[in-house]
Order: sequence, then structure tokens, then C-alpha cells
Amino acid sequence: MKFEIAQLHGAYMLREMAVSAIRTSKLSKDYGDGRGLFDLDLEVASREVFGYLGPNGSGKTTTIRLLMGVIRPTGGAAYVFGLNCWRDYVAVKHRVGYLPGDMPQFGSLRGKEVVAYLGGMRGGADPKTVRSIADRFDLDLNRHFREYSSGNKRKLGILLAFMHKPDLLILDEPTNGLDPLNQQEFYELLREARDGGATAFLSSHVLSEVEHICDTVGILRAGKLVRVARLEDLRAVGETSLEETFLSYYSDTDPHQKALPE
Amino acid sequence: MTAVRLSLRLGRWGLLGFSVLAFASSLIQAVGFYQIAGHTAASRAAFAQSMSQLASQLTFILAPPAGLDTVGGYVEWRSFGGLAIVFAIWALVSGSGAARGDEERGLVEAVLATGVTRSRWLAERVMGYAVTTFVAALAGGLGLVAGAASGGESISVGPVLEISFALAALGLSCYSVTLVIAQLTGGRIATAAAGVVLLALFLVNRLSQTFTWLASWRWISPFHYYELNQPLAPGGTFDGRATLTMLGIAMVGAAVAGVVFELRDLGAPLVHWTSRHRPAGYEPSSSPFWRIPAVRGLYERRAGLSVWAAGLAAVGVLFVYLTKTVIQPLLSIPALSQFFGGFAGGRLYMTFLGYFWLSFAQLLFAAFAITQVARWSAEDSDGRLEMILSTPRSRASVVVERAIALTLSAALVAAVSGVAVAIAAHYQAMDVSRERLAEGTLLLVPFALVFAAAGAVLAAWNPRAAVGLLGGLAFASYLVDELGPLFKWPTWVQDVSAFKLFGTPLSTGVDRSGLAIMVALILVGFAASILLMERRDIGA
Repeated sequence: MKFEIAQLHGAYMLREMAVSAIRTSKLSKDYGDGRGLFDLDLEVASREVFGYLGPNGSGKTTTIRLLMGVIRPTGGAAYVFGLNCWRDYVAVKHRVGYLPGDMPQFGSLRGKEVVAYLGGMRGGADPKTVRSIADRFDLDLNRHFREYSSGNKRKLGILLAFMHKPDLLILDEPTNGLDPLNQQEFYELLREARDGGATAFLSSHVLSEVEHICDTVGILRAGKLVRVARLEDLRAVGETSLEETFLSYYSDTDPHQKALPE
Repeated sequence: MTAVRLSLRLGRWGLLGFSVLAFASSLIQAVGFYQIAGHTAASRAAFAQSMSQLASQLTFILAPPAGLDTVGGYVEWRSFGGLAIVFAIWALVSGSGAARGDEERGLVEAVLATGVTRSRWLAERVMGYAVTTFVAALAGGLGLVAGAASGGESISVGPVLEISFALAALGLSCYSVTLVIAQLTGGRIATAAAGVVLLALFLVNRLSQTFTWLASWRWISPFHYYELNQPLAPGGTFDGRATLTMLGIAMVGAAVAGVVFELRDLGAPLVHWTSRHRPAGYEPSSSPFWRIPAVRGLYERRAGLSVWAAGLAAVGVLFVYLTKTVIQPLLSIPALSQFFGGFAGGRLYMTFLGYFWLSFAQLLFAAFAITQVARWSAEDSDGRLEMILSTPRSRASVVVERAIALTLSAALVAAVSGVAVAIAAHYQAMDVSRERLAEGTLLLVPFALVFAAAGAVLAAWNPRAAVGLLGGLAFASYLVDELGPLFKWPTWVQDVSAFKLFGTPLSTGVDRSGLAIMVALILVGFAASILLMERRDIGA
């Protein structure tokens, strides 16, 4: 591992060089009956926004949960900044911001209490950063979680993922349920994070969104990675739109072929 | 009939679990009867006499028995008396789940979108539950038949069907009462509010044996009508009118619930209180408690904890008055006073307070532990644990924090109820040692933690099945304590029961070896939970 010492705000920090933000090696999660994720070899470079595409049940969320160390691989391994996602999951979380596909229920807690609760587990939430994100999404943190619409729950999830300024953002369908204005706000927030040095790994069904914000895309089919390409390369070689590229991998798909249990 | 089928499908695990429980309860009591009471008239008469004394001490939980020298009378009192409480709890959980739980997870909205009317949906859920509860009650009756067969006796089918029908009618009436309360209140407090109402109805009936002024209110309690049925005891009768009254309560309750359901918005209570306007806020809570491990868990559950503490304190005070009311007349009889003088070092009030209050408190603390385990299971399945683990927390630290938070919660609830009991005992001029009371009350903490530790293992192994399995384990633990001495089971088997390990701290002091075993069980349980948590898939 190569390091360089960079001076930032008067303090010396170790910055990893040439270490991928995400790397997987033959990563597998076999649920049986041909369902799961199989032999995933993937590399996401630092400061890259990686779009992860695939139909429902193709293994996107399984990949994300493997990266987050909440499920155990049945084969291979995943690494975040060189740290093993299963073995070193605590160290990994210091550097990751996570938005799950479905927000959990926080019931009677107010938005500000959810932020303080999960922020408290990181040693405290920075009020300035929280205020800045909540303000730009117009998210009222005084309201009870149960009173939030699905869009507001999503905004809260985005806030929780971004509030500690992580090096890597792992986002499962981040704009799902957001209105177009807030989607634009999210794209802007993501751009700012990347400009600040962060990497993002996001799954999405919205091809135009991926085309708009991602540098690289990976396409999953039935638990296997079938294509990884930089969007600028796709454009340079004159390939058709991302939508057509994506659909070309599914034109002969058996509709019953799924990677995950329904 | 879609909803009936759906209701049966949704309740299939409850049906299976409670059927097994009812069958096992009656079977064990029946087999136990032959083991202990023997087969001669003299031995059975002696057994009936000793059980009568026990029954007189349990009047705050079980109805007065009849025909204790027969297997029918004994099982009717010991098994079907307890099953009334169990079926009421089942009705509470199922009723609030049908009225509010299914609504919160979108099931009701999906069903209503198919064109089913609200009244029909509710009526079919009631019908589905009626079938379920009758089958489970019948399993209890079959347990008696099987147990009696093991003793070479036969039980007539008629009385078995009658007691099963009465038990099912009680369950159904409790279910409908729960439906009404759940329709009137918000989803969050439906179970608690219905639980308070059912507990009040139970206590009105049971305590009316002791407090005569309550007798005039007995008619409002379905438990009263259930107890009017004693078909298994020789000379006992099946009270058709009382059973019809329970079914009437069920029908009226279902109808009222249906009307309220038609009037209210989905996901909302009937009466909406407009909350005061609160200006928008964009900053995190500034409370420092959120940053302190374990304390944040208590702070988050502060409302629920306050209710538990206040509720247990109130029940504790009630038991002080109950003890005084029961014991005082006995002491006024010179012969008995002399007899009791040499009993428990003359501290009769303390002995009986321990028997009445701490026995009941054990059940409540076991229930408290089970509710916490239910929360851990829910955190796993609804994704909250995954969110917690997205922060730099190890799985082991999550388990440890849960254990510490539960210890602090149980200690808080125990301390508040203990202080309330001590004050009430002081004002009732009862001779109760404060040290013994403090020790006995605090012993409830490791007692609750034994169940929590077992629950932690189950929640780490299979969160979806954890609550049901832990409930079964608690029941088994209770049975081991009840039956172990009677059947002369090995000490190590009896020591597995937390109820046995708790002992009788007010009359004989804290059993140090029992406490040591409890601590060992707690440590082993939470350590096993950590090992399982470290290896498993979250949310699976």
C-alpha cells in the first residue's frame, strides 16, 4: 500500500494512494437454486461515481449489503479502501456513508432525534453540516418520523449518509421517491461530495439519472456482472444510449430467471 | 371469505403454538394429578385439601376450584384457569395486530382496494379468530382426555367440548374488546390501551373475591362469565347463559369496532387531537444522552419506561392492600394468630407480601423482558439494526449495549415499584423489612435478564421466531418450577427455571446460589448471542 503524507488544515494525514475505493474478488453470495451473486470482480476507483444497474432481483442490494458487511459472503471477498468488508467491518464504517433501499422505522422519534441517535454512534453529529443538508432539502427535523412522507424519509436517509462527510457513499436507489427538484438537489450534493474527494457507489433503475451523474456503470444480470464501462468510453466508441446498451443484455432474458428470492 | 382464509393463514403460527401450549398444559396437569394424588379416595382427599390451601393463596389469579379430588376438577382449576389468562393475552396481541398492525404494514389498504368493505373485513377477521381460538381451546380439552387416559380414566366428550367452547368464547370476547379499543386509539398505543382495559376487567373480577365493593362491577368482566362455567368438576355445570353473554360481548364489540372503522381514516384514531404548531427545525437534537451508549436506549424509551414503572408501582401498591386485607382477618383469630406467630419468624405480612407481590412481579418482569426481545427482533427485520451497523459499531457492542440498557431499565422499574411497595406497606403498618424488600425487588433484575439473555440468543439465531420461542420458554420455565418438586425432577433441571432460582427472598432471604446460577445463565446467554451475531446475516 502506498501512502503519501498530505498537509491538510495544518495537520498531517495519511492518504491512501492507488488503493481502490471498492474492490471485490470472486465475491459470491449463494442463496441456492441459482439465486444470489456470483464471482463478482469489481473495482471502483477513488473519486469515481459508480452506477450499478440491473433489474429487480439481479443482486444489486446483495452486493451493497456485502460491501456493508451485514451479510457474509459464501465465496470471495470485498474490500473498501483495502479493508476486508466482513472482517474489518467496524473500520470500514468509519469511512462509509450508507443509504439503504428501504428506510427502517424509527416510529415516534423526531427527525432530529434520529439524526442525534445515529450521529451519536459516530461520536456526535455536526450541527452545521446537518443544518446545511436539511435546509437545502427543506427537511423539517422537528417532525416525528412516522409523519414523514416516503420522500421525506428518503431525504432523512440522504442526510444520514452524507452528514459525517464520508470518503465512500454506498447508496441503494437514492432518488427513489424524491420529487424532481429534490433529485436535482441530490445530484448537486453528490457532485459536491465527489469534488470534495468522495467516491460514490449507487444502484439505480433510472438510466437517465445514471447517465447524468455517473462516471462508470456496471450492469448485473442474474447475479453476474456482465459489463463495466466508463460512460465517456461508451460515448466515444459511438455506442448507442445507455438505455439501449442496458436493454441489449436483457432482450433474451427468461422473465422467471431471477438472482434473488422474490 | 378471503379475510377468513387470510386470518387463518396469518394466525397459523399462533394457532399451532397456542394449541400445543393448551394441549401440553392440560396433559401435564392431568398426568401430574395421578402422580401426586394417587388412586385411592383417601390420598385424593388429602391432595384436594392441600390444593385448596394453595388455591386460597392464588385467588388473585385463579378462580376458586371445585372437585379438586378429581382429575376434571383439578385440570379445570389448574390448567383452564391459567389458559384463560393466556388466551386473553393471545386475543390482545391478535386483536391489536388485526386492527392496527396489519393497517400499519399496508395490508388493510391493499385488501380494501379490492372492493372488500371495512365491516366485512373486520367481521371476517373475527370469524377467522373464532375458528382459531376454538381449535386451540379444543386442544386443551384433548390434553385432558389424553392425560385422563394415562391414568386409566375416561372423560366425557360433552364437558370437554363445553369448557373448550367457554374458553374460546372468552378469547373471542377479549379479541373484540381489543378491536374496539384499537379502533378508537392510535396505532402506537392500541396494544397498551387494550392491555390496560383487559387487565382492569380481569382484576375487577378476581379482586372482587377480596374487595367486596368490587363485586357489584363483576358483571362487566367477561372473565366473570367464564368462571361461571365449571363443567369438568363433578356436579359442576356449563352455564349456557354466561357463555352466550361472552359471545354477545364479542358480537357487540365487533359491531362497534366495525362502526368506528367505517367512520375513521385509515392509519388514524377516531378522534384526532390537532397538535400545536411547531416551527420547522433543521438541527439535530442537542440532548447529550444520544451520545452515551446504553443511556440513549433508555432515553429513547423514556415514555414506555415511565408507563412500566408507574404501572408496576400501582400494581405493587394494590398487592400491599390485598395482602393486608387477606392476612388481617386471619390474625384476628387467636388460634391462628398463635399458629402464625411461629411462622416465618412472626413476620407474616412480609412472607405473604413476598408470595403475592413478588410472584406476580416475576410474571410482569418476564413479560417486560419479552417485550424488549420483541423490540430487538423488530430492529433486525425492519432494517434498523442494519442502519445501526452502518455506523462504526461492532455487533458485539450492540449486544452489550442492549444488555446494559435492559439492566438499567429493569433496575429503574424495580426500584420505583419497590419504593412504592415500601411506602404503601409503611402506611398500612405492615411489618416488612426494608432490606429484604430492597433485595427481593432488585432480584427481579437478574430474573428479567435471564429471559433477556435467552431472548438475545434466540433473536440472534432466528429473530422472527424469537418472541414465540421465548414465550414458550418462559411458560416451560414456569411449569418446571411448578411441577419439578411434585415430580421430584433432578435439581439441575429445576435450576434451569428462573422462577425456581428466584426463590422466596422476602421470607428466606436471597438464595445466593440461585443468584449465582442466574448470573451465569445471563453471561452465557449474552456471550452466545455475541458469537451468533458475529456470524449471521443481518435481516435474514
